[in-house]
Amino acid sequence: MNEIILEFPLQSAFHTTARLTTGGICSVSGLSFDDAEDCKVCVTESLILLANKGFRRARVAFSGEKGLKIAVEGTNKGEADSRNQEDEISAALIQALAENVVMEKSENDIYKIVFEFGLTK
Amino acid sequence: MTDEELFAQFRATGDLKIRNQIVEKYLYIAAVLAKKFVGRGVEYDDLYQIASLALIKGVSRFDETKGLQFSTFITPTITGEIKNYFRDRSRLIHLPRKVSELRVGLKKLSAEIFAETGRKPTAKELAEKLGVTEEEVLRCSEAGGVVSLDRPAGGEDGRSFHDLIPAEDIFEEVENRDAVNSALSSLSQAERALVSYRFGQELSQTETARQMGISQMNVSRMERKILQKLRETLNKSTVE
Repeated sequence: MNEIILEFPLQSAFHTTARLTTGGICSVSGLSFDDAEDCKVCVTESLILLANKGFRRARVAFSGEKGLKIAVEGTNKGEADSRNQEDEISAALIQALAENVVMEKSENDIYKIVFEFGLTK
Repeated sequence: MTDEELFAQFRATGDLKIRNQIVEKYLYIAAVLAKKFVGRGVEYDDLYQIASLALIKGVSRFDETKGLQFSTFITPTITGEIKNYFRDRSRLIHLPRKVSELRVGLKKLSAEIFAETGRKPTAKELAEKLGVTEEEVLRCSEAGGVVSLDRPAGGEDGRSFHDLIPAEDIFEEVENRDAVNSALSSLSQAERALVSYRFGQELSQTETARQMGISQMNVSRMERKILQKLRETLNKSTVE
């Protein structure tokens, strides 16, 4: 699959758009219905996590030949929210649902979350 | 007492009071995670219950000496339990009939395909077999979301969904106006003029007759006919 990029302001109003887009791409990638649901949770959690880190925009890149690889990156950094407890839960939830999860950090702060789905189908 | 000390004491004594203390402290994680899985056909209360039970089990299994934070340990445990529940017995929540039916169909078909092939179907396969579009299948999976009315609506003013719901009488007013407008469109031009004179400008039958260049008797007869017509149209639209 050619890479598909979705860029938008990091506001909760766009979460449904991101979820629906993710669901559509999961379908094109041949993921199961359940995996697509989990994938949508991971994308939403990544967006919440990055928003709490102070990012104002998000860039979600979908790619992958076998399965689906998703990279959610925050851009336009601003003031961070200090709700760390929920961030830990978000991170652990992504780890629990997705495969090959990588949280890329800069100065100890997450700015990019990469994960995969459908590798073991 | 720190968390580590609490867990250590619980592991040493098995005291349920200490366990309950820990559970109460971390119950918010069960609530947070339960919310994440709302929208897949299981009500929040059920999800919260499953998550809470998983939390209780997790407290007994957690080993604080391994250097892992409890929230990091318990999240996959609770997530696993919720996913198991989905696999075992998810059920429908209140949705519009068409969406509900589609959800039932999707669930049934998913289970059938899984039983036949040993793999879970894609949205495309489900759409083809059910004779609906892929978009409908995907939208249907979005449609089950239960959102608290107390949840912020997302605006800058921080108002909740509840705050945004207009008072019932405003709805009624809009509905009534809509129904009357619709009923009036079924009248002829002369009939609409009569309604305007009599009920808009509140003219008498004699004044209306003068304005329309007809007799007062005719106005009276037309008025009765119009009211009867409007009554029938409005009754019909209420029944529909």
